[in-house]
Amino acid sequence: MSLLPAPLGPVRPDFLTRVTPAARLVAGMTWLVASVVTLDPVVPVRLTIAALVALVLWSGLPLRRIPSRLAPLGFAILSLTALSILLSGANADRSLAALVQLGPVRVTGPAVSAGLAIGLRVVVIGLTTVLVFGPSDPTRMADSLVQQLRIPDRFAYGTLGAMRVAPFLADEWTLIAAARRLRGIGSGGIGGRIRDIGDRLLVMLVGAIRRAERLALAMDARGFDSGIRRSHFRELRATWRDWLTIATALAIAVAALILPR
Amino acid sequence: MTPAAVQPSAAERTEAPVGAPAVEAVGLSWTYAGRPRPALQDLTFRLEPGRVLLVLGPSGSGKSTLARALAGLVPHTLPGRWAGSLRIGGLDVASTPSRFLGERVGLVFQDPDCQLVMARVDDEVAFGLENRGWPRPEMRARVPEALAEVGLGGFELRATNTLSGGEKQRLAIADILAARPSLLVFDEPTANLDPPGMHDTLAELGRLARRREHTIVLIEHRLEAALPLADDVLLIDDEGRQLAFAPADDVGRTAVSMLERSGAWVPRAWRGLDREPAVAATSVAARDASGTEPRPRQVLLRASELGLDYPSDESGPHCALDGISLTAESGERIAVVGPNGAGKSTLLFVLSGLRRPGRGSIGLRAIAAEGEPAEDLRDPARLRSREVASRVGLVYQDPELGFVARTARDEVAATELATRTRRRGRVDRPPDSDGVLARFGLGQLASQDPFRLSQGEQRRLSLAALVLKPPAVLLLDEPTFGLDRRGTESVMLLLDELRESGQAQLLATHDPRLLPRCDRVVALDRGRVIFDGSPAEFLASPPYSPAGPWRDAAPVGAPVPEPAR
Repeated sequence: MSLLPAPLGPVRPDFLTRVTPAARLVAGMTWLVASVVTLDPVVPVRLTIAALVALVLWSGLPLRRIPSRLAPLGFAILSLTALSILLSGANADRSLAALVQLGPVRVTGPAVSAGLAIGLRVVVIGLTTVLVFGPSDPTRMADSLVQQLRIPDRFAYGTLGAMRVAPFLADEWTLIAAARRLRGIGSGGIGGRIRDIGDRLLVMLVGAIRRAERLALAMDARGFDSGIRRSHFRELRATWRDWLTIATALAIAVAALILPR
Repeated sequence: MTPAAVQPSAAERTEAPVGAPAVEAVGLSWTYAGRPRPALQDLTFRLEPGRVLLVLGPSGSGKSTLARALAGLVPHTLPGRWAGSLRIGGLDVASTPSRFLGERVGLVFQDPDCQLVMARVDDEVAFGLENRGWPRPEMRARVPEALAEVGLGGFELRATNTLSGGEKQRLAIADILAARPSLLVFDEPTANLDPPGMHDTLAELGRLARRREHTIVLIEHRLEAALPLADDVLLIDDEGRQLAFAPADDVGRTAVSMLERSGAWVPRAWRGLDREPAVAATSVAARDASGTEPRPRQVLLRASELGLDYPSDESGPHCALDGISLTAESGERIAVVGPNGAGKSTLLFVLSGLRRPGRGSIGLRAIAAEGEPAEDLRDPARLRSREVASRVGLVYQDPELGFVARTARDEVAATELATRTRRRGRVDRPPDSDGVLARFGLGQLASQDPFRLSQGEQRRLSLAALVLKPPAVLLLDEPTFGLDRRGTESVMLLLDELRESGQAQLLATHDPRLLPRCDRVVALDRGRVIFDGSPAEFLASPPYSPAGPWRDAAPVGAPVPEPAR
């Protein structure tokens, strides 16, 4: 999954798309906090269920695209879960019964539950990020952060400009590699590969800096950050939807933490 | 001398309003921080409101610096040393904070992708107004108006990255018109565009010029289209010094010849007919006839029925290449032309073997040495890295992406060193990089970092890097893009030299001035070959609809620039 707030494709208007991005961000924060304050795997399980329900019922996001977006995260979740289970201190506790015993490797019940708790937290983080960033375009996100959360213009719109040029970098990375192959450059071996990647990064960085400078100049030429207070073409103001969303998210987070099993 | 083309458009204009001069420069000089030489030296001119000034000069003459000064970026955003004075509508640029200048001046840059900030068209137009603190209701009214002024009415909700090059550039014009500045500055606004986009943008400029509501400063090297719009011209030499400032129809012969000597493009109308050089006879046929072609011709590249699909998205599958067949023989130079998105760059990439085509096949072979039989045509994707270099080379529009070394000297030697076969007990001589650099006019720069060279020098270095191990087929993407007359000419001469080895060259280009220097033109449209024939045939009836932009842009009958002396 790309952590950049990239749009997931056409989004149909729905409850969450009408909520301002800043409110979604605040609401999402409550879940992130709830999922990290306890080691109990039940909390992330409950939040995952809540996130899936929100995704299907109120997000307006194209559901087909979500699995592929989350796929890279899947690897992280699996490896993190497996490592946490294997390396858990609970495995060394001889008073606990072993679920699995393979030579020196011993896995106990509490270790599995702790590992799942960690893996599921990453699931919650991933789904929450989709819910926060997915339903609106980056411009609305930047507008909302500036108008409602008072994030500085230079930061918000500078990042927005940088995001517009980010796709070029991926293309350039391929072109740089291609040019080197055609010129017979690129030695074998791990050392050679690492040096090769370093050289390619350097070329890409030079290009990225040039591009960023030109964009910054173009922004300045249009009066960006020239000491005048910016006005806003799109006005974003908190509505009842925003407050309802934040309140609901908070209620779910608290419920996930305190409801008995 | 009086170019006839200037008369009609000048006649249909109304008189400019009287008042303070729109632009007044007195002894204006500027040196960028850290540079030894000034970018602009002692410019003195006065431009009345409502007039159109065309700025002419070779690469590196400070034309863009002048544009930046007019917009207040120099000296307010970029550091350096300022001397003399520049006034815009009576306001002194150096002492006026840029927020007050921004109201009066709008600047359009050459690369649309480096000046559009927002993802959606209406946000993009509003960006400059937001920066100036316009109240929302006024922006809501002004944004659609500005878009309609450039013919983009109804585009409000489109994503900026789905626009064509010409549309993007018109959007950039709407961006600056929105704030109603009195001075519009255009810094090579058509340089990055294909012929339809260029035609589109120049037509927009023509409309603005005729409306006489703005004073316009235009930096543009498509002179046949730009000169008729100009009231005044400012000529600058390669050191940023003013050669002349005069009405466009009254430029002295001396100034023109000085401009020409400095390496700039010069309008055909200004060059005496007696000085029109003959078309250089460089076609394969001509060289065969003169007996200078040393080797028998052989096919070096054969592509048949190439097809490639883009991954399909919501709007269905797209064909990038659709049944392209093409051969190139030794010593042949083929121009690949077509609008943006026709598949030119994709074709070069596929021919180089770096991207597998979905359908069809490609064969490449190295040039056979004298008396040796030619090898079989081989699939480039199956070649090992060290075998590729002698068969195919690819030079990008941006030469920086292809640089592999930290000095010009190492850049030239890199391929030779990487692909050389080591023989036991023999000390290899180092490659003669310095000799090559000297021949390419880069002798002084051997220990320079390739990234610090000028655009023209980088282009020459990217070709010099192919000399020691010349590929049989050389693919070039826009090899003369952004170069002045001298730069273009030197690149073409170097290509001539590379071709001596029997190399076949395919160059994707938007510049019709190069076509007379090619043997064949292959025209693409939506991934298909729609024309394969001689440059003369192509220029006589371009296979595109409308053909106007392709024909207008072409200097029919006129040769490529004469060699720099």
